[in-house]
Amino acid sequence: MNPLLVDAPRALLMGNEAIARGVIEAGAAVCAGYPGNPSSEIIGTLAQVAGELGMHVEWSTNEKVAMEVAAAASFAGLRGMAAMKQNGLNVAADFLFNLSLSGSKGGLVVVVAEDPSGLSSTNEQDTRAFAKMGDLPLFEPATPADARRITLRAFELSEEIGLPCIVRSVTRVSHARGPVELGPLPRPEDRPTPAFDRSRPFYSFPALANHRALKRKLARARSLLEGSPLGSYQGPDRPELVVVAAGAAWAYTREAIALLDLDRQVGVIKLGATWPLPDGLLCRHLQDAPRVLFAEEVDPFVEAEVKALCAQRGLRPGAFHGRDDGTLPAVGELGVDLLVGAICRLLDVSYRSRPESYDQRVAALERLIPARQVGLCAGCPHRATYWALKNALALDGRDGVVLGDIGCYSLGFGPSGYNLLDTLHAMGSGPGLAGGMARLGSLGLTQPVVTLVGDSTFYHAALPALINGRYNDASFVMLVLDNSATAMTGFQPHPGIGVDAMGRPAPVVEIADVCRALGLKVTVGDPFNMEGTIEAILELLEDDEGIKVLVLRRLCGLLAAKRGPPARGGKGRSPAARGSGATKVTAAVRVDTERCLGAACGCNRLCTRVFRCPGLTWDAVTGKAGVDEAVCNRCGYCVQICPAGAIVQAEDGDG
Amino acid sequence: MDQGLRQLQERVLERDLCTLCGACLSLCPYLGSHDGRVVRLHDCDLDQGRCFAYCPRTELDPDALARAAFGPDAELDVEVGHVEHVLMARATGPFRARAQNGGTVTALVTQALGDGLIDAALLTRRDERQLPEPLLARSEEEILSCVGSSYVAGAALEALGAIDETGRVGVVALPCQAQALAKMRGERGVALVIGLFCTWALHRAPFARFLRRRFGRRTVRRIDISPPPERLLVVATERGEETVPLDEVRALIRPGCAACVDLTAELADLSVGSVESQPGWNTVLIRSEAGWALLERARRAGSLELRELPQPDMEHLWAASLEKKRRALAALGAPEESYLAPAWVRRVLEAGP
Repeated sequence: MNPLLVDAPRALLMGNEAIARGVIEAGAAVCAGYPGNPSSEIIGTLAQVAGELGMHVEWSTNEKVAMEVAAAASFAGLRGMAAMKQNGLNVAADFLFNLSLSGSKGGLVVVVAEDPSGLSSTNEQDTRAFAKMGDLPLFEPATPADARRITLRAFELSEEIGLPCIVRSVTRVSHARGPVELGPLPRPEDRPTPAFDRSRPFYSFPALANHRALKRKLARARSLLEGSPLGSYQGPDRPELVVVAAGAAWAYTREAIALLDLDRQVGVIKLGATWPLPDGLLCRHLQDAPRVLFAEEVDPFVEAEVKALCAQRGLRPGAFHGRDDGTLPAVGELGVDLLVGAICRLLDVSYRSRPESYDQRVAALERLIPARQVGLCAGCPHRATYWALKNALALDGRDGVVLGDIGCYSLGFGPSGYNLLDTLHAMGSGPGLAGGMARLGSLGLTQPVVTLVGDSTFYHAALPALINGRYNDASFVMLVLDNSATAMTGFQPHPGIGVDAMGRPAPVVEIADVCRALGLKVTVGDPFNMEGTIEAILELLEDDEGIKVLVLRRLCGLLAAKRGPPARGGKGRSPAARGSGATKVTAAVRVDTERCLGAACGCNRLCTRVFRCPGLTWDAVTGKAGVDEAVCNRCGYCVQICPAGAIVQAEDGDG
Repeated sequence: MDQGLRQLQERVLERDLCTLCGACLSLCPYLGSHDGRVVRLHDCDLDQGRCFAYCPRTELDPDALARAAFGPDAELDVEVGHVEHVLMARATGPFRARAQNGGTVTALVTQALGDGLIDAALLTRRDERQLPEPLLARSEEEILSCVGSSYVAGAALEALGAIDETGRVGVVALPCQAQALAKMRGERGVALVIGLFCTWALHRAPFARFLRRRFGRRTVRRIDISPPPERLLVVATERGEETVPLDEVRALIRPGCAACVDLTAELADLSVGSVESQPGWNTVLIRSEAGWALLERARRAGSLELRELPQPDMEHLWAASLEKKRRALAALGAPEESYLAPAWVRRVLEAGP
């Protein structure tokens, strides 16, 4: 049985699964999202049970559309949920800030899973500023158990006040596993039949009247949440230090206090809702606090609000500490170590988590660890595209500008993409910047302009930019790195795949067809055709009229390796059929050491020093290249790179 | 001193001295060419490279190379290098009818291949746009497809890199290519070099653009340069012949040609050019024993007709050759900027009028 449908008092769930369980227990009918770490598993796991529960779960083309899809359910009286990562909220924000004014009907929850430190993101960003700006309630679960409970509460509150509510998670909640108390699963027959009451339209205007109503709704939320068990105080009556903690930082704080054995000195205010803040709870425990430490992810949001609250109420705690005064770092993810250090400094206690000799041994061993860089996988078709682009730009010789976009190929900023990317911002920013950069030609810019987008990114945000470029007569080259998957976030399907989130067959929206319909010049190629791709890019660079699109299609190397050789006679538009069609070669790749020139003139280790697929190795003792079979995905592209013809792929299938 | 790709980039490519001979391209995956430019694709950190060693514009000592090729005691003419015999030649039979000039080169290559002196000939043929492309010819038919000059530099020596099997290759080479081959000293099986006289070569991309601008969509069938004193570029299209004053295309000459000191392909086995006073005849400078032997075979086979070159033509050629050297030395400027051996430069500057 799927863990989301367990009928038991409790289960061990990942935070995102716990959120999904909360969504199910709340009886939500429509869930939509766009993949993005660390949020992807929410929609991913819901999609697996959607059929059984009679829900509609979808991957939408972008987060704004996802939020609109969920809101439509709410307008028709059903419960809806939209899930995304922090960047996605920016895309959805325009709708959200109008939705707050129109209000909602069926419970509507927006889950934003943040990636503090931007470990797999282009930014770190605090959702709570959006909640404040949009006058929307926001909850912060601290554990997987909280995640389920809070999600349920968010749906209820949404219906009580007629506003969407936000659940803010972070990586260490979304991806942590913990025991989760489970509630009953609703019966599908209890779900209301959707109907849109046309006598009660949803308008964001008139702005002033609706803004006033919104303030009233938020005030109502404040009073409804006052005394909520989601917020609590734990600690002595007269603490030496009060920590105001929210989300994952609460768990770090609890752990730090336990490690330091300071239960009798330190009290902790746990916040369940951070917008609006529980004023009563805070005032009760802060008025006599000698010192206050704020433990929260990303921005000192609660810290600033509590300082304002204290000023308003005339409270005078001894001192405030947190990210603002440097007690905790101003940026980046928190952790137990940081909380231990902060509490030790504030209370003047010392703590060593491990003996000094351990640190010395670590320092000694550190030097032996080979440096690793983030990079494209072995067999990645994007490496082939970058190799062709590198060659084409050099041959073109006009110092072409490469405008990047969001996806696995973002790694082209680094050595595995030959440091080709000159810009990297948001989904769809590549083509948008390209349209602007290309227009500078009339002002004297002589560099050709190239932009790269992935297949999923194309649908997400490239289209308005392409139409803009077409309309405003921009001339640039766009490479679509079509690996037939949303690979970066875990191979979710997208409109080009022929299958939907729930695994059902779906129409294919062909990128090439869309581009042709926009009046763009379109060619489709295989990035593994090295010479052909270099030639094609060169030709497009020399064409100075209009937008030239080259769709480079080749299944993600990891999927290709996973799926193995194609079944004979396979056909149709299923992702497997489409992808494996491009993956005929599965024989082992090896180096003929007789022919390998190594570091000699005429090669100088082109494969391991310049091309640098991680599947290729260099034996410094013999002075020959090799193939690491454990890493190699047998794509065979390096056979084309070797100037001596020393890299060979055996035809017999097992090398 | 470092003599690798980085130095080639700084001292040749960035200074526009490259002649597009193609020698470096035949060796190295770090180099590519596009539109008549040799391009460094990737950074090579070797401090010694054959790209640098074989380039005719890195370090060139024409005297040392000639002695290595023709013997330590070879007599070296300051104007035209080492010459054993000077003759005038023209092909007999079908070659002459199809030839741009006297058809001598076609006859000699055919002879060498037919007699098994070489297994293949590296020639340059013109593509449908009349731009050069290398061809490794192994038959008379293929040789005939290469008749005529294109006047555009093309990296023919690059094709040496594509020759896999060991075999003897004959190369019809421009002077810069003969220099590169001399620096290679027989590497890659080059057994015979037939040199072509050359005053300059056009730059590929600008010339292609010029043709497009001037002739639009018309198909260019042939390009020729009429002999002096006319000096016109004659372009034949499907609508007939049109002429362009040569001065109009001079701006399209490769900049590197201005630094060239070799008119007569001094490092070839034999060198062939036109004879100004005798249309339909070729000047032939025989430099090596192999060159002389090949000429003899062609004469005995009756495929070549030979005569003495008239004295005024010879004097004119010698003077023109020296003039080219002096123009190049002036263009190169200070001796330290030059790629040429200082002793050789002095010899040219001290030569008679």
